Amino acid sequence: MPSIFERLYRVGPASLLFKAIIVAIVLDALLLAFILLRRTYRKRYFKKRDARVYELRQRWHALISGEIPFETWRRKPFDRRIVEEIALDAFEASGPDESARLLKFLRDSGLIEKRIFEARNHRGWRRLRALVALGRTRAPEGIHALAEGLRDSDLETRLASLRGLARTASPKAAEEILAWLGEEGLTVPDLPLQSALVQCCAERPQLLVPFVRNAQGPLREVLGRVLGEVATPSLGPDLLQFAGDELDELRASVARAMSHSNCELALNVLTELAQDRIWFVRLRAIVSLGKQSDGRAIPVLVHGLTDSNRLVRLRGAEALVGLNTEMASIFEQVVALQDRYGLHAYLTALENAGLRGRLESELRANARLSQSQKDHLFDVLQAGGLRVSEPATMETASKSATGLL
Amino acid sequence: MIRFLEISNHILFWYYTASNTAYLVMLIVALKTSAVHKRKLQSHRLNWVKETPMAPPITIIAPAHNEESSIRVAVRNLLDLDYPELEIIIVNDGSEDRTFEEMRDEFRLRVVRAVYVPQAKSADVRGLYRSDLDSRLLVVDKKPGGSKADAVNAGLNAATSPYVCIVDADSILERDGLLRIMLPVLDDPKRVIAVGGIIRVLNGSEIKAGRLQRVRLPRKGIEVIQVIEYLRAFLIGREAWSQGNMLTIISGAFGVFRTDLVRAVGGYRQSAIGEDFDLVARLHRHLRQQGVAYRIPFVPDPVCWTEAPSDLKSLGRQRARWHKGLLDVLWHSRDMLFKRRYGRIGWLALPYLWLFELIAPVIELSGIVTIILAACMGALSREFFLQFLIFGYAFATIISIGSVLQEEITYKRYNDWQDVVRLVSYCFLEHFPYRQMHMVWRLQGLVQYLRGDNTWKPLKRKGLESAGVR
Repeated sequence: MPSIFERLYRVGPASLLFKAIIVAIVLDALLLAFILLRRTYRKRYFKKRDARVYELRQRWHALISGEIPFETWRRKPFDRRIVEEIALDAFEASGPDESARLLKFLRDSGLIEKRIFEARNHRGWRRLRALVALGRTRAPEGIHALAEGLRDSDLETRLASLRGLARTASPKAAEEILAWLGEEGLTVPDLPLQSALVQCCAERPQLLVPFVRNAQGPLREVLGRVLGEVATPSLGPDLLQFAGDELDELRASVARAMSHSNCELALNVLTELAQDRIWFVRLRAIVSLGKQSDGRAIPVLVHGLTDSNRLVRLRGAEALVGLNTEMASIFEQVVALQDRYGLHAYLTALENAGLRGRLESELRANARLSQSQKDHLFDVLQAGGLRVSEPATMETASKSATGLL
Repeated sequence: MIRFLEISNHILFWYYTASNTAYLVMLIVALKTSAVHKRKLQSHRLNWVKETPMAPPITIIAPAHNEESSIRVAVRNLLDLDYPELEIIIVNDGSEDRTFEEMRDEFRLRVVRAVYVPQAKSADVRGLYRSDLDSRLLVVDKKPGGSKADAVNAGLNAATSPYVCIVDADSILERDGLLRIMLPVLDDPKRVIAVGGIIRVLNGSEIKAGRLQRVRLPRKGIEVIQVIEYLRAFLIGREAWSQGNMLTIISGAFGVFRTDLVRAVGGYRQSAIGEDFDLVARLHRHLRQQGVAYRIPFVPDPVCWTEAPSDLKSLGRQRARWHKGLLDVLWHSRDMLFKRRYGRIGWLALPYLWLFELIAPVIELSGIVTIILAACMGALSREFFLQFLIFGYAFATIISIGSVLQEEITYKRYNDWQDVVRLVSYCFLEHFPYRQMHMVWRLQGLVQYLRGDNTWKPLKRKGLESAGVR
């Protein structure tokens, strides 16, 4: 039996070439014809559409007020698509009064109802389009249809539903999303889900707490992150149960959420979390402590400057600078740390905030400090670092990835 | 001898057919993918993306070397980009002109002690400056490093966001380009580690104050042919390769990468000639060695407009350099070939690049030589030769028209009828003598690399404003 190479060799170019030429030329001609025909068709279509858009825009107020009966345009798909597009574009860009008027129009004209029907009964791209349009309306009556879309087998459709529900930003939508997550688990990428939940749970973040408690694995992480994003002071006691959670993400979320809570307890919890073994938990805790704007957090924040993680040091420094108080005293504590990484972080934050001049004047005016102490602090400030004779505390800072300029 | 010529003609025929068939398959895949992508975009309303609280911060790194004429406009354009969380790092790579002074005056730069962690190798940094007018802008002033890789590494060392977007300071990014290029990341942040955007030819378009006003086709034939080449490379090649997660090149003029991973592989390789290709190849290697599931998609709609060479000398230099870069990276990645752990990259993408890109000019040249020899020795059938030429011409034209079709049915940036007619006309005209010149430039690149001549000669450019003059 001849090998494949022999067979190919026997087929040879000559026997193929003529047919190949014909096929290639026909394909060239077809491609060209397609381009030209498509251009011509689209030119005509857009001309017709633009003319119609102009006409409908001229009569827009009569259209949305119902002076022109809805049936006159609703039965023509061409007109209906244009009216819907104009209305939705206007809806997204309008203020509360105008959007209420437009929503009434979308309801009265039956456009929302039609989209709900399509979202429920169509499949594929048509369902996707209906879900997107429904999401754009932000109509509460569309929530059920959107929630049904979450159970679609196609990921794009599920994502469209999720984005649509996010647009409504209502607790009802959050309930639907959470119920679906309870049934099916995590079947969409994290980020769109987080985004949707953040928008929908903002009004009632307590909805999340039981789900966070009962969820498992990656879903718990996602819900924890959302909780951290939307938590309010009223959630303080609920959050405490997660402060010692074994899931790092969740502890980080608690630390983040605690920034909204200014009770004594929150300060204690954040102080505890600022010593966590995981760097991003410490980071969150330090950032939250900074947001509390409480002088009692200063020692913890100053200690944060000696953290082994660069980001924790930076955020600690920013938090200290952001306190905007007791600058001379804080700077004295920072210098006393004898940690050049910590000092660098503090000076960076100070310069980024443009507060160096203020620190200088506070140092000058400070009555508590002796002249020699002031001179020393000014030396450090001018040099931008500790003097060579003063050894930096290297143990506290990471030696590996922290070559600072 | 005649037998040898016969065999080599056979090889040439099958090589040519295989290479064009591969492109035809890619064209079909790309057409399908673009149609799906276009529909998908309908469910992604960009303003929703902009409003999402979860949009990850991005640091844009733009190296600038002797860009005094365009740097103000370029930086302003970057600051105007539509993205919620943005940091912009301009790396002044030892410019000998007034690039730095222009920025300092325009954006009121002041020295800061911003964090700079020298994880990726780069020449010494002279200073870091932040703008008083817009705190998102950081300028890294460094000693000349002699390569773009060196400058990007300096930017990487100062970046503070989880994603970096590498752009050329002399290119124009569309305002919503970042939002669009980040869509795959927002959809699947765990697996998407880098995204490539499309580069298009700026020449001929109307530009005002550094902004693209109207897209037009350039006047010069050499520039129009480059437009077709870019369409073919991006809308067909990259679109199709990314479908199989085998994208090996993200253009250095516009691409987004996960910062931690770029740092993990040591940033750009300073000595690399094609630093963009090299980085992606090393990312593939790193992630496949780790056994991590990842994706590197290509997004065809976020557009970066760049000036293409408008004279043969500059174009020849550019193409020779690109081919040198290809050889350099493929040579450094040769151990990935046909290894199980590198999967389809080692079994398909890299072999394709070796066979149909790298050695293509050598095969073409040997084809020409054997045809001439066969003709001299009377072993060439005139009829067959003519038929082969017609076939080759018609087949290659299908691919070129296909790329124009792809542009037409998807993004349709060239709205003018006149432009489309010219674009299609050049699909027929690019085969002679441009293809042959291209072959020579690529051969020059190979020879230069083998001789160790890796010097970089700057291309002649008109600058942003005048690039658009038709």
